[in-house]
Order: sequence, then structure tokens, then C-alpha cells
Amino acid sequence: MGLSRNVSLSTALRYKGQAPMLTYWLHRIGGVSLFVFFILYILALLGVGPVNALFSNWLFQILILFFALFHAVNGMRITILDLRPGLILHYRRAIRIEWVAFFVLYAFALIVILRNALGG
Amino acid sequence: MENAKPQTLSLAKRGFNFEIIMWFYTRLSALAMYALIIAGFVGAFVVSAQTGANLADIFRWAFLPDTVVNPLSAMPWAAVLTRLMVTAFILVLSAHGVHGLLAILDDYFTTPFARRWFRNVIIAFFLIANAVAVYVIWIAT
Repeated sequence: MGLSRNVSLSTALRYKGQAPMLTYWLHRIGGVSLFVFFILYILALLGVGPVNALFSNWLFQILILFFALFHAVNGMRITILDLRPGLILHYRRAIRIEWVAFFVLYAFALIVILRNALGG
Repeated sequence: MENAKPQTLSLAKRGFNFEIIMWFYTRLSALAMYALIIAGFVGAFVVSAQTGANLADIFRWAFLPDTVVNPLSAMPWAAVLTRLMVTAFILVLSAHGVHGLLAILDDYFTTPFARRWFRNVIIAFFLIANAVAVYVIWIAT
């Protein structure tokens, strides 16, 4: 494994990795978001007031659920393909299925959050 | 790429080291978390039947703890089984999370010094965060 990369940020942003690259980035961003969420979660359990206020904010809920659900669904795809290497042939189809599953789950989560936010 | 034949290596050829163990752990812990989440939801549904909470409340409180207004909070913590499940979830999740974060950091901080430093910080965070979590789950609630 190399210890240095000669790739500038502009080159990285121009890289046309398409759908797999998008899932790669969203998985990483989602992972870091969940790590921050995990720290906040412990603070909330300790009774830190402002954190509970943040968790009650529906915009925060919409954002964190986007990343959490995507990380979970994409992680499922990665796990299945890694443990069943034969299925890697169909990885683009797997990504399409993943997006459908994600949008169904996220739409449901959005309805729940917005219904609570709007006092339904 | 769509027609490329997948290449697989046997465990003997890959070598059996810490990275391989964590590679497996990351995937298997993801499966364990799905199982614990489903079990948690089933438990929440059971509790909701007793408290009259609606579906929206269950989903919101399952992810977003608010012990002031959460009517479910009085019941799940009382059960030893629930505490064991939450402890297992926290331990699996935190190990999965810190290893994932370390993998990301390793990609951007490539000097041996930085990698060793981040590894030590992450291990320290893992131990402290889990000590706090276990304290909250078993003693403070």
C-alpha cells in the first residue's frame, strides 16, 4: 500500500466515477456523520440539554436520517457483495436496487419526521 | 467492467492478520447491527402496545433519545435484556465506527507518525466513549 498520492483535489473532483463513486463518497460522509451522531447520542444520554434540543430539530432529523439510512442500505450492499463475490458481476444493478430501497425507506422516514414537525 | 470475472483469493493467500480480521469484523458487525435494530424495533412495538405510542413516536424515539418526553424511556431501560442489547449494540457499533473512521483517516494522513497518532487517539476515544456508554446504560439510568 502506497503512502503518498499524487492526486490534486481538482483532479479528484473531475474523476468520473459515476454511481459507484457517489455511493463511495456518501458512505464515507455518512459514516463520519454517524460518528458525530454517536458522540452526541452519548451526550444526550448524559442529559446535555442543547443536544436534546438539536435532536428535536426536524431539519437535523432529516439530514441525519438521510446519511444514516444511506449508510445502512449501502453497507448492506457492500456486505452482500463482499461475502458473495460472485454477485460483483451485477454491482451496477445492485446499486440501482440500493437506491430504490433507500428512497422507499427515506420517504417513509420523511413522512414520519414531517408529520411530527407539523404536529400531525 | 460489467462482464469482468470477479477474482477471489483464499484466506491462506490473503494472509491472516489484523486488517483481515477487521475487514471481516466490519462486515459481520454490520449484519449484527441490522439484527439488533430489528430486535429493538420488535421490542419497541411490544412496548408501544402497552404505552399507546404511535408508529411515528416509535421510529423517532428509537433513533433520537429524548428522555424528558419519551414515554418509552421508562420501560426499556428497566429490563436487563434491553440493557444487554443496548450494550452489545454500542460495543459493536463503536468498534465498527472507529475502525471505519480510521480507514478514512489513513487515506488522507499518510505519514507513519500521523497514522500511529490517530490510531492511539481513536483507541483512547473508543475506550472512554464505551466506558461512558456502559456507565449511562447500567448505572445512570
